[in-house]
Formats: sequence, C-alpha cells, structure tokens
Amino acid sequence: MTHLSMEDLTLLRESLPAAGAAAAREHLAACPACQAELERLHQRVARLRALPTVAPARDRWPEVRRRVVAERRRRQYRWLGVGGFAAAASITLALLVNNMSHPQPVSASTEDISRAMDRSHSLEQALDTYDPDSRVTDGVTAQAAGELEDRIAVIDNQLESAQMLDAAARNNALLRLWRERVGLMDALVDVHITHASNVGL
Amino acid sequence: MAEAFLLANSDVVLARARAGDSDALETLFRAFEVPVYNLARRICRTAEDAEDVLQETFFEVCRSIGQYRGEGSLWGWVRTIASSKALMRLRRNKYRDTDELEEEIHVPLRQEGSTHLRMDLEAALERLPEVSRAVVWLHDVEGFTHEEIADMMGKTVSFSKSQLARAHVRLRRWLGEEIAV
Repeated sequence: MTHLSMEDLTLLRESLPAAGAAAAREHLAACPACQAELERLHQRVARLRALPTVAPARDRWPEVRRRVVAERRRRQYRWLGVGGFAAAASITLALLVNNMSHPQPVSASTEDISRAMDRSHSLEQALDTYDPDSRVTDGVTAQAAGELEDRIAVIDNQLESAQMLDAAARNNALLRLWRERVGLMDALVDVHITHASNVGL
Repeated sequence: MAEAFLLANSDVVLARARAGDSDALETLFRAFEVPVYNLARRICRTAEDAEDVLQETFFEVCRSIGQYRGEGSLWGWVRTIASSKALMRLRRNKYRDTDELEEEIHVPLRQEGSTHLRMDLEAALERLPEVSRAVVWLHDVEGFTHEEIADMMGKTVSFSKSQLARAHVRLRRWLGEEIAV
C-alpha cells in the first residue's frame, strides 16, 4: 500500500482542490497511518503558530524617521530644482540686491549675511561629502540628527517667509536665521562626525 | 497588540500618516514593529538582518503609505512589504542552497524521557535551509498562498509546494515524530 507523500498531505490542507485530491482523500479516509500523519502535520503547524513572538532589541524608529525626513528634504529640493542651500540663498541674494539698489536704514550688513550664507554652504557641502545616509547609524545619533534636520527645515521655511518683512526687519531676520542655520548645520556635522569617530569609521 | 492594530487602522491616523505627519507614522511603526520583526527574525539568519528588514520595511511604509487604498487590511499590506524585504535580504546574503547538507549545521538536541532525542521546534525551524524556512513561515504561519510566495520569490508554485513538503519531512524527522508505516 502506497501512503500519501508529505506534499499530498500539505496540499490536502488547502481549501482549493489540487489535481489528484479526490484520490488522495479517498486513500486518507481508508488509511489510519496517513490520518495520523495528517494530524501530526496539523499539530506541528499549530505549534509553529504558537511559538513565542520575538521583539527587536533596539528601537529602530529614530533611524527610520531620520531617513524619511532626509528623503523628504531631498524631494523638496528636487522639486524646487535646486539644493536646500541654493533655494534659501537665492531668496536671500535677491533681497540683498534689492537692498543695495534701494538703500534702507538697516542694522545688519549684507557682508555679515553673505558670510553666514557662505559658512552654511561650506558645512552643507562637507555633510554631502560625508554622505550620512549611506552609513550605519545608532539610534541616539539618528534621533539627534533627525531633530537637527527638522530644525533646519523650519529655518529654511522662515528664510522663505522673511521676504514678506520690510527691509530693516528683513536684514536683521536674515542674519539671525542664517546664523542659526550655521549653528544647526555645525551641530549636524558634529553629530555625524563624532559618531563616526566613536565607532572608528 | 489588537488595540494598537485598531488604532493604526483608524482613518484619522492613516490620513495623518499619508500627509507625512511624523507622530502618525510613528503610531504605525509602534503598532506593527513587533509582528514585522517577528516575521523577519523567523526568516532571516541573524537578529541584525531582521532589524535591518524592520527598518527597510517601515522606510518603505512611510514612503508608500499614500498608495495604500484600504483594500485589504493594513497589516496585510505591511506584511507583504515585510515579507518581500526579508526575502530580498536572503537573496542579498546569497542564501544557502536548499539542498545543502543539513548535517553541517549542529543544533543541540533535547532529551525526552530516557530513549528519545528530540530537537526543540524553534531549533528545528532555525536549522532548516533559509528558503525552506521562509516558505514554511510564510505559508503555515503568515497565511500566504503558494501563488503569493512564488510571486515574491520569483519561483514557480511547484517550487513553493515542494519546499514546504521537504521542510515538513525534515521537521518531522528532527522532532522525532516519524513512525513506521
């Protein structure tokens, strides 16, 4: 007497009838050994489903979030057709040119603003060269970097909004925002580079 | 976990997640991180690989949540992404051939009574070749059909069916369930 194969038994569990299922069921009905084998298969699968659930040892959300934010920023830049720096800088430059052609009683000098923009640009280039997205990052670093990137995105939005201000207030706001951006970019570079030296990269 | 699932399925959370709200995306992550990791850990060779699959899965979920149209459960959608990522990880790691000599892998046996040596089910599952283990888990535990598994693996339906049967033959032997017929 030829018993059912394991493939026959596994297929008998399917709701859709497979080819030869009728003959297999006929054999099963008459064969206590195959009935026992099918029962063991059912029990094994039930035990598999009852295996304890395993949970991750580390929180991976900060790293997921950091990548999502970084990708969102890249998408925004692509949509603008320029880099983050260039987008914010072009607005500022236009405003500065306008200030020079229509001198206003301003307190923040255009040179100071240009210097802050150059510094921000250098830091952004340094970060691009380091390419943090392609590197392994621990949760703490990812969280810190994510928070800094969020704050930089807020500053970029504020730089865009600054064009609505009158000339005097605008230059002061631009200088403050660009300096703040430099500080945040500096911190972001620090977070990545410090992480890299801590793990020996 | 059911409460978290309900919360994750709520229209408000989904709408906010689609709009890119970070808190809503984190709610989805918290609702599904354990089942996704569990699936990945059962398929992948190491905990590190499973954590990477968890991360890749949710990066994809966050990017593509706008494409989820509510057809089928949210968990079903997330689970398909997680399974694909886990199988991609196996392919990337150049998984062991399914016919590799199983005796090369040593897993401690457990004493049962005075005469039988049995392997514990978890160890036996771990001992299966990667592809067989993936098929067993995806079919018997996660509930994917052979057609779905074949599609995700880029193999035939027959391949999936035969891998499942061969895996059960091995599990039966290692678990000491064989009987003379």
